[in-house]
Amino acid sequence: MNKHTKLAILIAPLLLIAGYIASDYYLEHQAAQDKVFYLNQQNNCDVLADKCVLESGEFLISVSDRQGTTQINATFPLDTVVLMLVNDDNSQQIYQLAMADSPYYWQAKTDLRESIPRAGDSRKLRLVAKIKGGSYISEFVSTTISR
Amino acid sequence: MGSNQSYWQKNLRLIMICLLIWFIVSFGFGLLLVEPLNNFSLGGYKLGFWFAQQGSIYTFVALIFWYSSKMNKLDKEHGVEE
Repeated sequence: MNKHTKLAILIAPLLLIAGYIASDYYLEHQAAQDKVFYLNQQNNCDVLADKCVLESGEFLISVSDRQGTTQINATFPLDTVVLMLVNDDNSQQIYQLAMADSPYYWQAKTDLRESIPRAGDSRKLRLVAKIKGGSYISEFVSTTISR
Repeated sequence: MGSNQSYWQKNLRLIMICLLIWFIVSFGFGLLLVEPLNNFSLGGYKLGFWFAQQGSIYTFVALIFWYSSKMNKLDKEHGVEE
């Protein structure tokens, strides 16, 4: 093995590591770019009865309400969550949810329970959950089935 | 002096070719062109995936010996072989 082979064998792993680091940087940069995914609701949604699940592939978000505190539980940790209660005139009340115990749980006091107290009442909601620059958005209707 | 400069220029040219191939194979085939290459397959694997996982490493190893062989020839041309 002469000096050129030794040199090349020495340099190649360094280039390999440099390539690995650069690839990681490139992929991280791509992942950080804004992307929008749509969450679809599974079956009928009744937030007050704790029966409202939104899904996008393996990502699931459960929306529930306990004594006026609307709660979000996600299968992946979230960075921010915004919930909007849509009025009849299409205006909306916007709630920035606060993290509960961990980035999987978010909550805020809302008027949702007060606005749909009786069976048959319904309210349109919009949700925007952000994960590392990716936005998961959904528009769904919560219909109170029974009280 | 002129011979030394010529040797060094050819050496640099060889290094640049190696780096270009290194870049094309690792970044080009393994990342930037991975989707179009995945339309083809090699040994049951999608070509873009294969380049990212194995092809680039095979190419790097081949480059080592190709560089070594070219440099040996260059050494002989300039009378500085071991």
